[in-house]
Amino acid sequence: MARIQLENVKKAFGKVQALDGITIDVKDKEFFVLFGPAGAGKTTILNCIAGIAMPEEGVVKFGDEVMNLTDPAHRNVAMVFENYALYPQMTVYDNMASALRSKLYKASEEEIAERIKWAAKTMKMENLLERLPSQLSNGQKQRVAMGRALVRTPNVFLMDEPLAHLDAKLRNSMRTELKEMQANLGSTCIYVTHDFMEAMALGDRIAIINKGKIVQIGTGDEIYYMPCNEFTAQLMGEPQINIFEATVAATNDGFDAKINVCGEEITLALPKDDNVYSKIKEQGMVRCDIGIRPQNVKYSFEPKEGYFKSTVYSYESIGNKSVIVAECGDYQLRMIAPNGLNVEIDSDVYIKLEMDHIILFDFESKEYIVRYDEASFIALAASKEEE
Amino acid sequence: MAGLTLNHLYKRYDNSGKKKKIKNDFAVKDLNLVCEQGEFVALLGPSGCGKTTTLRMIAGLEEITDGEIFIGDRLVNKLHPKDRNIGLAFEDYAMYPPLNVYGNVAFNMRAKGVPKEEIDRKVREIAPLMQIDDLLDKMPVKLSGGQKQRVNIARAIIREPELLLMDEPLSHLDGKARQAMRTEIKRLINKIKCTTVYVTHDQLEAMSLADKIAIINFGVLQQFGTPTEVYDDPANEFVASFIGEPPMNILETTIINKDGTFFFTFEDSNLQIAVPKRYYSVVSDGFRCKMGVRPMDVLIGGPDSQGTSEEIATFENLGDERRIGVRVGDVLMMLITEDEKRYKRGDVIKLEVREEKTHLFDIETGDRIREKN
Repeated sequence: MARIQLENVKKAFGKVQALDGITIDVKDKEFFVLFGPAGAGKTTILNCIAGIAMPEEGVVKFGDEVMNLTDPAHRNVAMVFENYALYPQMTVYDNMASALRSKLYKASEEEIAERIKWAAKTMKMENLLERLPSQLSNGQKQRVAMGRALVRTPNVFLMDEPLAHLDAKLRNSMRTELKEMQANLGSTCIYVTHDFMEAMALGDRIAIINKGKIVQIGTGDEIYYMPCNEFTAQLMGEPQINIFEATVAATNDGFDAKINVCGEEITLALPKDDNVYSKIKEQGMVRCDIGIRPQNVKYSFEPKEGYFKSTVYSYESIGNKSVIVAECGDYQLRMIAPNGLNVEIDSDVYIKLEMDHIILFDFESKEYIVRYDEASFIALAASKEEE
Repeated sequence: MAGLTLNHLYKRYDNSGKKKKIKNDFAVKDLNLVCEQGEFVALLGPSGCGKTTTLRMIAGLEEITDGEIFIGDRLVNKLHPKDRNIGLAFEDYAMYPPLNVYGNVAFNMRAKGVPKEEIDRKVREIAPLMQIDDLLDKMPVKLSGGQKQRVNIARAIIREPELLLMDEPLSHLDGKARQAMRTEIKRLINKIKCTTVYVTHDQLEAMSLADKIAIINFGVLQQFGTPTEVYDDPANEFVASFIGEPPMNILETTIINKDGTFFFTFEDSNLQIAVPKRYYSVVSDGFRCKMGVRPMDVLIGGPDSQGTSEEIATFENLGDERRIGVRVGDVLMMLITEDEKRYKRGDVIKLEVREEKTHLFDIETGDRIREKN
């Protein structure tokens, strides 16, 4: 197992700059997630590490060794793909043995049998070894693909959306299992996904990739609570974070934020937080964007002190809870509610924003400025890092 | 008045040409369903369960082996699809590529020879409702998936059908667009108040959209009820594990009697959960069954909790919530918490279960075991 480093890696396909200066440093035994929308360059990064793609610029290092010119076979990486890429004519056992039987490894059959037995046990697929791929369900196929990667002792596991093909239920249960398995193996793993739940749940650290660049690298908590810009904030969380414009005005002893709700100006006091206040003063802030997560928006169907009025755009279940979407003119506010409420569409709803949970973004650059209670979230993120 | 009635509906595909006779060859078996006027009903089940076959029989695209279908009061068994007065929206949009959006939406009425002015009035009326008013001049290739689906639905409802049938209209769209489109469909159906049958394999879609859900497995109706009913009061193990994400924890259990109090016990585990009093009439010492409890009804106890100590096997921080898995025998029992504490693997927690929320299922058939009144 090894530390994997990429330094300023660039790769273009024709005119398209797929990777534009990627620098990452994956620690030994780390589960590192590359997360971003489709076409961001995640898979290309993985291919550069595997040696399938050649970067035009930059260095790929395994440990202290520069690997740029090493061919894929000699890099000793194991890849798991979205489409399982199993040999259809071979049994599961032979599929798993194929790499070890190759010229490169030439392992003895006893050794192969032992490795497969161990891998099959780890992946809980001992009963599948005699089957052909056509006799497997999709979840089982992916299990075999992972088992096949496991039988070698690779420097690093590279996984390219291995769960994306599976239906929602299976994806979630496989995700949980994968996490347990990785913890047991203690191997370095680089994992590509566009699913934020996978990124959060699996990654020791997450790199957010967009348009061939790294937007942010951090632990799940860091990125969730202190996203570096609005793009990242919107990627993390389901339902999405609410982001809307506000103007900031000084009052006697603090600041107010004024927001527009269906053409009406609503004034919300910004609670006292020395860090937030000093950032506002420092920047001489007049306008900003406010981000607030749906769980920090409260609703009432009766008028209430401190609540402002809006109308229900929709009410829908998202599984164990529901989302009320309220119409606010230029934007909509999503908030969490329990299942089974009797909510009429287009009826009145009264909303309160928990202002002591907001994140402030720059009005123009959409970059992160500050959030409430920042110090405690920095501490939370740091506690994870220490482990 | 009922909008749609299915009466002992059967479908058997003819497999006489095949060498091997399939044993259970009914695609749909004795399906009875009554959808009220204006109701939004989802047909939900895993792939191959017969939900699309059912929809196609309602539409008249598939012959009925046995049974009756009524749309309103009309028996439609023998009617041609075009005479059934239904609107269809399928997964793939099937638009006419050489026609613009306006042409696509108006196509059907033009074919029927409806006067131009009336077509125009109707298209202009429906366009803002479906938010396609600024797309009317565009060609289908220029549209995004979500926009195509909106046009597709507009085309289905412009004829003011008695019944709207949709087959996985969102499964082509990616996560974000799907979520947005779900909201739009919900609003739209609410406005036009047309009886709608909606086929999906996504329980979340069914839960969020439908007034009532019909859950089907192997061609057999498992349960028909409101989202709250199927979630809180599942008819059997299949429904319990199909509805909800993460699914209900279902564990085999042996009930023991300890000084007059019944407990669920589990193989290779110290976990003991008190059996709700209402089940006392149906259980006995040594009774074997399955116990089901939703992950939200499993809790982490405080320092002076009476719960069993359990070691954490998996911990997933999902930002909005955290999921914890604990091994009970060889089953991973999941719980969901919004607790801000970051646990790690191997930490020991006190596990508490909301006993009154537990369900009992028959160990063989999977049917719900209910208390006797």
